[in-house]
Amino acid sequence: MNYFVNCAIINQKSFNMRKITILLLLLITAAMTTIAGGYQVGLHSQRNIGMGLIGTSLSYDASALFYNPGGASFVDSKFSFSGGMSFIMARGTFQANDVAYQANLKHELNTPFYFYAAFKPTKNLSIGIAVNTPYGNKLAWKDDAGESWKGRFIIKDISFKAITYQPTISYKFKDIVGIGVGLVFATGTVDLNKSIPLDGANGEGSLNIKGSTSSFGFNAGVMVHPENGWSLGLDYRSKIEMKVKGADATFTVPPSLGTNFPNNKVDVMLPLPANLDFGVSYEFGKNKQWMIGINLCYVFWSTYDSLVFDFQTKTAAIGRSATPTLYVDQMIERIGAQYKINKTITVRVGGYYDPSPVPSGYLNPQTPSLTEIGLTCGLSVYPFKGFSIDANFLYLMGAQRDETYIPDNFAGTYRTGFSIPGIGLTYNF
Amino acid sequence: MKNKIFLLFLILAVGFASCERKIDEFKANANGVNFSQFVSVGNSLTAGYADGALYTSGQENSIPNILAGQFKYVGGGKFTQPLIPTEDGVGFQPIPGGLYFFTKHVLKSVPDLNCDGTPVGTNSTKPAFLIDNPNQITLQQQLFAPSAVAGPYNNIGVPGATVQTLFYNRYGDPTLDGHPFNPYFARFATSPSTTMIQDAMIQQPTFFYLWIGNNDVLTSALSGTDALVTPVDTFAKYYNLAVGALLHSGKSPKGVLANIPDITSIPYFTTISQKLPYDNVILSETQAQGLNLLYASFGHPNWGWKAGRNPFVILTNTGEWKKMELGDQFLLTLPTDSIKCKGMGVANPITYQANPIPAQFVLEKSELSNLHAKVASFNAIIAQAAQQNNLALVDMNTYLVSFQSGMVFDGIKFNTSFVTGGLFSTDGIHLTPRGCAIAANHFIEAINAKYGCSIPQADITQKKGLIFP
Repeated sequence: MNYFVNCAIINQKSFNMRKITILLLLLITAAMTTIAGGYQVGLHSQRNIGMGLIGTSLSYDASALFYNPGGASFVDSKFSFSGGMSFIMARGTFQANDVAYQANLKHELNTPFYFYAAFKPTKNLSIGIAVNTPYGNKLAWKDDAGESWKGRFIIKDISFKAITYQPTISYKFKDIVGIGVGLVFATGTVDLNKSIPLDGANGEGSLNIKGSTSSFGFNAGVMVHPENGWSLGLDYRSKIEMKVKGADATFTVPPSLGTNFPNNKVDVMLPLPANLDFGVSYEFGKNKQWMIGINLCYVFWSTYDSLVFDFQTKTAAIGRSATPTLYVDQMIERIGAQYKINKTITVRVGGYYDPSPVPSGYLNPQTPSLTEIGLTCGLSVYPFKGFSIDANFLYLMGAQRDETYIPDNFAGTYRTGFSIPGIGLTYNF
Repeated sequence: MKNKIFLLFLILAVGFASCERKIDEFKANANGVNFSQFVSVGNSLTAGYADGALYTSGQENSIPNILAGQFKYVGGGKFTQPLIPTEDGVGFQPIPGGLYFFTKHVLKSVPDLNCDGTPVGTNSTKPAFLIDNPNQITLQQQLFAPSAVAGPYNNIGVPGATVQTLFYNRYGDPTLDGHPFNPYFARFATSPSTTMIQDAMIQQPTFFYLWIGNNDVLTSALSGTDALVTPVDTFAKYYNLAVGALLHSGKSPKGVLANIPDITSIPYFTTISQKLPYDNVILSETQAQGLNLLYASFGHPNWGWKAGRNPFVILTNTGEWKKMELGDQFLLTLPTDSIKCKGMGVANPITYQANPIPAQFVLEKSELSNLHAKVASFNAIIAQAAQQNNLALVDMNTYLVSFQSGMVFDGIKFNTSFVTGGLFSTDGIHLTPRGCAIAANHFIEAINAKYGCSIPQADITQKKGLIFP
């Protein structure tokens, strides 16, 4: 909330670049995290978030580096910078089946961020770098009793964060077709806690897994401007195989069971799914005041068929465990529009439908990904030409779902909702 | 204009952020069944006996007490139990002239020993008495300590009770004049002359629970025989008398009956045989020849010891020597040290005495099948009583069998293994608190199904399993 208040105050005064620099630094050094179907995060440009998270056919600023590298060369300024952050306030409730029991997601603030810088050495060539957080999952459960939430033997809390760094090159032919490709370097960290159902004099056992990794992928796109006002975009972001090798596994169990649960290294494999996005948008009206667009985003979730933990020191109690997840591919449908009221203010609105990739029988409290409907609105304020403060608000409603997680026989109804205000800056010059 | 838009954002953000995503809470519904006066009748499984003894928290985690807690959602009333004032537990066994008292078992990490008593250098986690030589007077006083709450108690669970003992006059009279008496009933019977069933009836239950009959089979099985099982017609007579008495206690109660689990699938009867095959006597040719000579000298010529694997020698209940067979099961009480170090089942390597395994440590295959058949007969009687009287029936027999291959609840795995299975306490017969909650939930399923109620189940994750050192 404070950011809004600050923002309003800043807006009333004239900007100076030092403040902007400080703000950007703040945004980038802050931690990141999640929301959206599965463990994918869709919050990559405050402007685009404001209009239903569309972006594949847009080339207004450097965020095209991520949404569609083919569009970066269409950005019509020599330099373009964009940075921002979203503030995810998650609300979630779990009602156990057949038991008079409810638990809630802890009210933690998650802050995914992005930063893009694009430079055009020539009219048709753009090079740039995109830094953002396309994947992540962070949540913790609690109930009125505090530490003893019913699903703690499955997950107590998890923080999985991935940051991608994407140097990108984009070239356009005759203002009609732009192509671009970026190399994606991803870093990831995971930190999770769960309880182990072994009681001792000092209470229940527990397990902490903490580790980090890095991996590569790519992002390639093509954008076509066939005739005045129309834009089509197609973008493919590859799967990134995140293998956390040798994460620290710390067991706390009763001493007599210590030899069965030695502190240990564990390999965790988590694929970040590929995305194929198609977008079309149309600008119209006086001075192209209006823009309306749709995106179809196909997420190759089926790559996530199991969550594998492979302990390096194997005993009778721990070894290699592959828990089936059996995610299915899904298509996200997005629609959004923007309207330039005047030189100073642009407003945006949009919405999207994000079906859950989790099949029946596999929804669990670790990633309680529900089918979601997102409603967005946003605006940009231009204190001077080329520079905008972009703000938006996204409300994401998860459809209530009653499921038994078969591998752990954990049954209940989930309902989630997310309020996500966001703020960012864009500077084209 | 700008400020107005920002203000709108602010209101939206605050509005949605404070908007919790609620789900309807569990809707409990008695569906007309009156749970206000709940009385449970049964044996040790009902009393909350665990780890080989009766102790406070074991009783607090008894199946009826967990049920009573859940009945509170549907109009259940106060539920009293005759709590014993100790966590150390009190168990006993008859000895000439009285009783020997002991404490509960707990898991202890104890050094493994060689046959000569020297340590091997490793430790094993095993059930052992909490206190090795407890003060007999203290335990006796704890057992008979007057309870803070006056009876009669809602939970009439008496360790050792059978269908017949429900009707024993003076079952709670501690006067030692040779009449059958049970100290666990004596400690809370409303009078020395009362019966268990009378103490239940005088409370005029609106809803009752009867889980009896296990000991009609188990007591015999625990002695390594099938000879002491209650005859089927006796069982039928007293079981139906008990159900009738409870039904006609005054308030036209509804109720739930539970049947008898397949006792031979509990750890007490399975654990040892899983690790120790019946034919684990492995001999060389020379050893076999020597043993054949030795056995001949004990009046068993041509015993047939041979090189390789040989079956253990056991005593039957009639005192005959017999080769153990595949399917015969060791009891948890088998002195495995004697098997390992004193040649039990073969011959003592020091004294050269033939040394068959005494009958009380083995259930023979034929005995097992007789026990199975008896359980089936008793369960048919129980099922018929439930059907004729329109009572809920909990099929514990089938339910326990389903745990043999393993079950999982809320990410906790359970099976019927000893110690590691999570279901059975350190005595290998009675349940852990978590096991009691699982059993109580199965009662709730049966009651909900029979009477169309919606009673919430207990949260098993709030109960503990075995406590490891």
